[in-house]
Amino acid sequence: MVEQTIEWLESTALANLVFTYGWLWPISEALHFMGLVLLVGSVGLFDLRVLGLGKGIPPAAVHRLVPFGLLGFVVSVLTGILFVTSTPDQYFYNSAFHFKAVFLLLMGLNVVFFYLVPHRAVRTLGPHEDAPRIAKLSAALSLAFMTAVMCCGRMLTFYRPL
Amino acid sequence: MTAFLVWLEDTALSVLIREAPSVWGFPFVLFLHTLGLGIAAGMSVALNLWVLGWAERYPAAPLRGAFPIVWLGFTIALVSGVLLLIAYPTKALTDPVFYLKLALIAVALWQVQWIRRRLFEADGASVSQAPSPAMRRSAGAALVLWAGAVLTGRLLAYTYNYLTAAELLRGA
Repeated sequence: MVEQTIEWLESTALANLVFTYGWLWPISEALHFMGLVLLVGSVGLFDLRVLGLGKGIPPAAVHRLVPFGLLGFVVSVLTGILFVTSTPDQYFYNSAFHFKAVFLLLMGLNVVFFYLVPHRAVRTLGPHEDAPRIAKLSAALSLAFMTAVMCCGRMLTFYRPL
Repeated sequence: MTAFLVWLEDTALSVLIREAPSVWGFPFVLFLHTLGLGIAAGMSVALNLWVLGWAERYPAAPLRGAFPIVWLGFTIALVSGVLLLIAYPTKALTDPVFYLKLALIAVALWQVQWIRRRLFEADGASVSQAPSPAMRRSAGAALVLWAGAVLTGRLLAYTYNYLTAAELLRGA
């Protein structure tokens, strides 16, 4: 099943594009990192406000940066799809990739949790108001999972199957 | 210059970072470099987006605490970057793109200080609510500078001419 998926991915038009245009991979890597920067900066600043930095600004105001983080995430996901599609064997058998997928899932679950549970309370906070403890926990996990995803991503090269 | 590169690549530290068969060697230093870049560029980009979008409506003073985080990230990226440079000095120093990357980072960091001085008085109070056109231009330029720094940094893996001093000597 895995091998068939790999063969199919390698035969897609996207994979062919990557093989045809040598510059596509390096440019996508740069975009992947720019997406990371946008995500870490925007969502990170919001997480830090929830945790208590820059309390003079209401969290809802800092939250306006989050769409930029989402944009960065989408750029990273799209370029990530390009990497996995063109060289699936380098990822499917790579334990760093497995861990990265797990941390991405945890990151996603934490986002869902944040918007379902503490977001309502955080949204209505005024300047100098402290976020509830459960929101702080979620913000801290957000920072931790982003760091873990980055770490696993960086380790991909060193756990490549031969 | 070549003699220096040969010597540096032969030092115990250079060999250790380059050849240690452990994820705590080269891979971990690379991760720290990415983490530092994510924090420094990310926080700077977020603060400049704030200047472009919302500084008019909210006093910037509470965001003062975010500026040291840019420098924390930069310190992580700098220390890990120096270690990467010690591991592969020829690779970086013989590649013009490396110097372009350093120049972009230098200007981007100077901009961080520039915009901070314009946002805050010495006592931490906001200077003014509405950012001036010059501040807006500077904030926009900062986004381009950081994108350029990330692009050139990432391209170093592809644009280098010599990986090691030995290659340089051979003229490979």
